[in-house]
Amino acid sequence: MSQPLIQIVDLCKSFSGQKVLNGANLSIYKGEITTIIGKSGGGKSVLLKHIIGLLEPDSGQVLFDGMPISSMNKAQKKAWRSKISYVFQNAALFDSLTVFDNIAMPLVETRRVSKEEVAAAVEKRLAQLDIGAIGNKYPSQISGGMQKRVSLARALITAPEVVLFDEPTTGLDPIRKSAVLSMVSSYQRRLGFTGVMVSHEIPDIFFISQRVAMLDKGKVVFEGPPEDLQRSDKPVIIEFLQGLEQPRDALTGMGTQQQLSKSYEAESDRSARTAQAFCLVVFSLDNLEEITEQSTHVMAQTVMANFAAELGRHLRVFDSCARYGFDRILVVMPNTGMNEAKKLIERISRSLQRKNVVPIAPYPDFCLMVSAGFAQAGADESIEAVLERAANDEKNVYTFKVC
Amino acid sequence: MDTPNLNSSFPASLGRAFIFFVQELGGITVFFLKGLALIFTWPPQVRRTLDQLYFIGAQSIPIVMLTGLATGMVLGLQGYYALAGVGSEGALGSIVALTLIREMGPVLTAIMLTARAGSAMAAEIGVMRISEQIDALQTMQINPLRYLISPRIAAALVSFPLLTALFDMVGIFGGFLTGSMLLKMNPYLYFHRVRASVEMDDVTGGFIKAVVFAVIVITICCYQGYTTHRRQGGFGARGVSNSTTRAVVMSCVLILVSDYVITSLLR
Amino acid sequence: MKKFNVEMAVGIFMLIGLLCVGYLTIQLGQAQWFKGDSYLVQARFLGISGLRRGAAVEIAGVTVGQVDRIELDTERMLAIVWMKIEKSIELSQDTIASVRTSGLIGDKYIKLSPGGSDGILEPGGLITETESAVDIEELVSKYVFGAVD
Repeated sequence: MSQPLIQIVDLCKSFSGQKVLNGANLSIYKGEITTIIGKSGGGKSVLLKHIIGLLEPDSGQVLFDGMPISSMNKAQKKAWRSKISYVFQNAALFDSLTVFDNIAMPLVETRRVSKEEVAAAVEKRLAQLDIGAIGNKYPSQISGGMQKRVSLARALITAPEVVLFDEPTTGLDPIRKSAVLSMVSSYQRRLGFTGVMVSHEIPDIFFISQRVAMLDKGKVVFEGPPEDLQRSDKPVIIEFLQGLEQPRDALTGMGTQQQLSKSYEAESDRSARTAQAFCLVVFSLDNLEEITEQSTHVMAQTVMANFAAELGRHLRVFDSCARYGFDRILVVMPNTGMNEAKKLIERISRSLQRKNVVPIAPYPDFCLMVSAGFAQAGADESIEAVLERAANDEKNVYTFKVC
Repeated sequence: MDTPNLNSSFPASLGRAFIFFVQELGGITVFFLKGLALIFTWPPQVRRTLDQLYFIGAQSIPIVMLTGLATGMVLGLQGYYALAGVGSEGALGSIVALTLIREMGPVLTAIMLTARAGSAMAAEIGVMRISEQIDALQTMQINPLRYLISPRIAAALVSFPLLTALFDMVGIFGGFLTGSMLLKMNPYLYFHRVRASVEMDDVTGGFIKAVVFAVIVITICCYQGYTTHRRQGGFGARGVSNSTTRAVVMSCVLILVSDYVITSLLR
Repeated sequence: MKKFNVEMAVGIFMLIGLLCVGYLTIQLGQAQWFKGDSYLVQARFLGISGLRRGAAVEIAGVTVGQVDRIELDTERMLAIVWMKIEKSIELSQDTIASVRTSGLIGDKYIKLSPGGSDGILEPGGLITETESAVDIEELVSKYVFGAVD
């Protein structure tokens, strides 16, 4: 692997005699989103603050591009600082300044930019984050979710290389949580920054992060891709994930991925014993991205939630389903052959036509494109393999529009 | 700072308190000097300094005039009766003017400003600290000392002497009100005594005090707010209220102590 | 609108403040930098008990100047009082300077009594004829115990 952009080596930090970080090691790679999870009070924010230099380590090093921060000279430090932005847990906006001035602040105070350029840059960010109408309001006059977005806009205004997110979603409702995270993800893809995030939103963080690190008792106990974390058999990780695991996905009201995997395995076992067929169906909302671009992230996530609710109504009691990404839902249908599955999908597509899944069309004549791929699962086939077949086998993909 | 299992005997805790005190003193001094030096960095922070002048200076005019008038009137009354006892009512103007210009003006103005502006500043900066706004400034590469503290120091250094002068003037007028209007003293004699007895040294001494008090009040109040997070229980509303209380109490005590020291040095 | 108000208020505040400072320094403190129209003379006294800097210098009850500084002539053990006199006042060389008290416990001041000489005292000149302060304590003891000498 190439050299990590940011490297944390044996970091120790204690506050009034209490060790918060105790030899933490972590590598963050360029262009990736790394999510740090762990128990609350486990030093996640403290770790994040070391990366931007708000805190100085008791011992250990933070390396930026291979260069230890502690041995940087003034100019290097300045260059390093200007590449990093920080999104605070509770927004940390300035009460005495308007939203506009808050966002403009990093530009106005530290760069030489003309008033018009500042205004243009701020307007652009306001529009992108769907908060265009509140530029003249004060932070205390807007909702918590809006404050978060303003703070995100402020962090992004300098076009930083690295953005650190300290719990960007706490205190938001499920739709906005998903919206913020999908926003982070889509910005990250578009602007190509490196993201480091402290968050607990499972499963969303698995969709958007390329790497996950888990912090426990001041040490990083796991570091790697999210799939590996889910497969890990370390007791501390299993215990943590189970503790977090809510019985239902907050956005869709469906079961969790973990539960889906379990029921898949159970079905797999059963079909091996009884030779009963069972199906895997993957619904994807193909042009959800279009809603995001034309309208907002919040709207896209609302559509997803509506769609999931409608879908749930048509599934049978023994079917289990879960969200599998920002725009995909996976359903395990036990005891169901290919034909039966197809009929079921057709019925769902017909009934969806009558429902108002898209509350406000991003443009006239907008149709939501849904494709439902289905495949019969064979015994001893992994869920990923069946998914692969379901999504890509042209013959068995049923596409329909909801207008 | 308070690692458990330390020797908790009296000399040990006294020693720790002393070390803590020396550290705080050093911290406050460095804090002030940095804030002062950063006033002169380019570009000047005109807007923010103006806002602070408005807050510390302009908005304090009514309260300073009110306390000044009351103080002058009381001095006039007390002085009159005391002087009448030895048959020297004529000296009332001297008594009132000298007391105001040398002592009461600078001290009471500083205490009023601590109560009105200092406490508000400690609370405001404290809230900014605990809601991570100061950290946010740092992450945006904005020097929080320059952004928050320097305009306040500049504004205080201008406002304190001006408000002290206002206090003196209104106070002398208050003494005149009781002396001449109420007690029928010769108004010309009053102002003649005021003019004859006040020396340039008295006036400059008063201004020196005002400047020193400005430094004390602004530094203590800003520092207490700025370091809210460093003290135990320094989180949330409790932390801010602690800082504000400490700021006001420390400022007032130091005003009175330093007043004595300056007075003895100036003589 | 808000901007205008802040600037206006700060402007008014500065104006009021500076006026007060000006009054205190110029009118009350008698700051010297505006009136250079005075000159210094000196006088030697045997005793000036209680005379202070800034004390008034009067001719026939009219203030014409003030005491600028007080020194001690260590050789002859005399007090040297430097007085600042308005330029328009011309003093004859035989002017008598005496330390007086206004009221029983009032301030000390210097009374100048012009003589008849034609010679005018130059700036920095010395008034030779002086009367020292009347020591009340001495007077009282003289009255009570009778004259000692």
